[in-house]
Amino acid sequence: MTEAYPQIDPTTFDLIIVGTGLPESLIAAAASAAGKSVLHLDPNPFYGSHFASLGPDELSAFLSSSSFPPSSSSGEDPATVSLTTRPLYSNVEISSLAPETLEEHARKFNLDVAGPRVLFCADRAIDAILKWSTNHYLEFKAIDANFICVENGKLMRVPDSRSAIFKDKNLSLIEKNQLMKFLKIVQRHLDPDEDASSKVSQEDLESPFAEFLAKIKLPPKIKSIIMYSIAMADHDQDVEACKNILKTKDGIDRLALFQSSVGRFPNSPGALIYPSYGQGELPQAFCRRAAVKRCLYVLRMPVVALLIDEENGQYRGIRLASGQDLFSPKLILDPSFVFPSQAGSSPEEPVHVFSEKAVEAKVARGICITRSSLKPDISNLLVVYPPRSLYPEQDITVRVLQLGSTSAICPPGMFVLYLSALCNDATQGKKLLNTAISAIEVSQISERNAGVKNEDAEVEPPFIIWKAIFIQELSAGKYGSICSTPSPDGNLNYHDLVDAAEKLFHATYPDEAFFPETASPENADEDNCPEDDGPLEEA
Amino acid sequence: MASTGNKNINAKLVLLGDVGAGKSSLVLRFVKGQFVEFQESTIGAAFFSQTLAVNDATVKFEIWDTAGQERYHSLAPMYYRGAAAAIIVYDITNQASFERAKKWVQELQAQGNPNMVMALAGNKADLLDARKVTSEEAQSYAQENGLFFMETSAKTAANVNDVFYEIAKRLPRVQPAPNPSGMVLMDRPAERTASASCCS
Repeated sequence: MTEAYPQIDPTTFDLIIVGTGLPESLIAAAASAAGKSVLHLDPNPFYGSHFASLGPDELSAFLSSSSFPPSSSSGEDPATVSLTTRPLYSNVEISSLAPETLEEHARKFNLDVAGPRVLFCADRAIDAILKWSTNHYLEFKAIDANFICVENGKLMRVPDSRSAIFKDKNLSLIEKNQLMKFLKIVQRHLDPDEDASSKVSQEDLESPFAEFLAKIKLPPKIKSIIMYSIAMADHDQDVEACKNILKTKDGIDRLALFQSSVGRFPNSPGALIYPSYGQGELPQAFCRRAAVKRCLYVLRMPVVALLIDEENGQYRGIRLASGQDLFSPKLILDPSFVFPSQAGSSPEEPVHVFSEKAVEAKVARGICITRSSLKPDISNLLVVYPPRSLYPEQDITVRVLQLGSTSAICPPGMFVLYLSALCNDATQGKKLLNTAISAIEVSQISERNAGVKNEDAEVEPPFIIWKAIFIQELSAGKYGSICSTPSPDGNLNYHDLVDAAEKLFHATYPDEAFFPETASPENADEDNCPEDDGPLEEA
Repeated sequence: MASTGNKNINAKLVLLGDVGAGKSSLVLRFVKGQFVEFQESTIGAAFFSQTLAVNDATVKFEIWDTAGQERYHSLAPMYYRGAAAAIIVYDITNQASFERAKKWVQELQAQGNPNMVMALAGNKADLLDARKVTSEEAQSYAQENGLFFMETSAKTAANVNDVFYEIAKRLPRVQPAPNPSGMVLMDRPAERTASASCCS
């Protein structure tokens, strides 16, 4: 449907939000629920911005279009400041090894721009989904198994529950006992009924997690599992000079999040779930929730300039690509816009930047479409390559998420691998990802050759039929009288992004609640809707 | 997504059509038996469920309204996903709304679910004097495109329940799920606290 830009009516709002990524969508839902009149725009023809799920061609176009700021149509008008975008993605390399196969199924792919990313069943994104009743709109698939790369490139299944520890074949009896003992220490520490003497000491809580784990004599293999596959540490924790040491108290918090995730929904065996049809469903769900609360939606609508009060330089509104001017006291922009420092930042209202946890400024992401699963009997799985597992100087964890057609993100018989690693520069990031991809390919070849006769190997089609690798800039949320939402971060979940959205919302509306007090369905009458057959129901 | 079991059919039904054609009014009439003369264009409820018993099955409709996102052609793909049925609504007193309805039909056909039951509803049939779209024109369009057609009035309730009954009858009784369906999250606070312990 290509039509001329529509005229938007009304022209004044309490809040204008540009970009439909997850943080923007959460803020739109919260502001609409608080009774604010909200206009939510996106220059793209799809929902989700940097959190979208797209077909291979759309994804290629999105990554490269975002790499070139459009020529600014800045006039001489002193009452406007032209709004420019900056490249969030660079070093984009896309290769297609079976274009005809891909073409045939193009519509069946929903590839995440910001992968790999999943939900922990007990994390804040799940809270947001339940509190805003967006669970009616979403379906999830369980991530069935969690692997970690141990010595010699071998993948070991992470024992992520008590029964899994008992059944595990890779751990010796002594190791199992050590692990159980450690989990008991954590359990006692977290139990509010236990007295102080059975808790982890304050001194230990402030010490590095790696030291704490060594102190209670956990062997290196178990230490590695806990730090990189459960606490999801990105940096090598056993290096003196590590810039990002995970403290014991944070490590225990992450462990607690993982453990409470394992038990939360009886039908999800593991801690992690993934939305059917891709990550892009989450912003769509929150946008729909906002729309129900009267938020106005306009896709395919670029914003070209900010309207500025000539007297005091304050932000007044925006100019659309259609030439129409719209006004609002508050504006929230997605991270692809250059944060307009000259506009709206009066001396008494400085721009605040949320602290970024990662020291690195970038994240390398990779997407591979493959013809077979990494593990023959499991389609949705996570693999963690902890520091030094791929090559001796590897100082950053590489995470790989494989999803199959049961998640409705690719056609049957194919799989999608998402990879990510924090990095300082493109060279480092690409080395991390390419080494991980090579390791995966080698393991696939050996797996094939183990069972299949040699003559078949010759006509074997390539394992990876499409591949995209790119570098994404990381940016934190910023707020002044204009706010900027954070870019997708390097984490595996949405925890920090939901936090950042909440902070931005509170900075914008200090007196309003981010989450509604009680879960109010769209309509009281339809409370009867999906019948309760079980908390997390495999329909 | 329509799924069967003991002839209980769950079916997602979506409404499409121009702003002001009467989508929300049709749903409100069907679900609650109500009609509001000047229904606001975006209502605060966009998700209803209603169960209908037809001869051989009980059909539970999950009805999705557009929540106003169609106003600037910004409906999310999520809206169409897994829909077993759609009602495309136009206003018989407004030729442009009929032309828009044809666009929605094309959009639905592009979603590629051949089993989707599609109904064309010419709403506001009580306003005969102001009629701009003849029922013959709509009927022949519907026939050519594999839809069934009814003229309805949310105001008088004429044919409103009939549209839903007809859809219920036409839903495939055994439908292979296009995608294996996933899990739906339901909050159970009691269980959450119970499961907060380590290694449960």
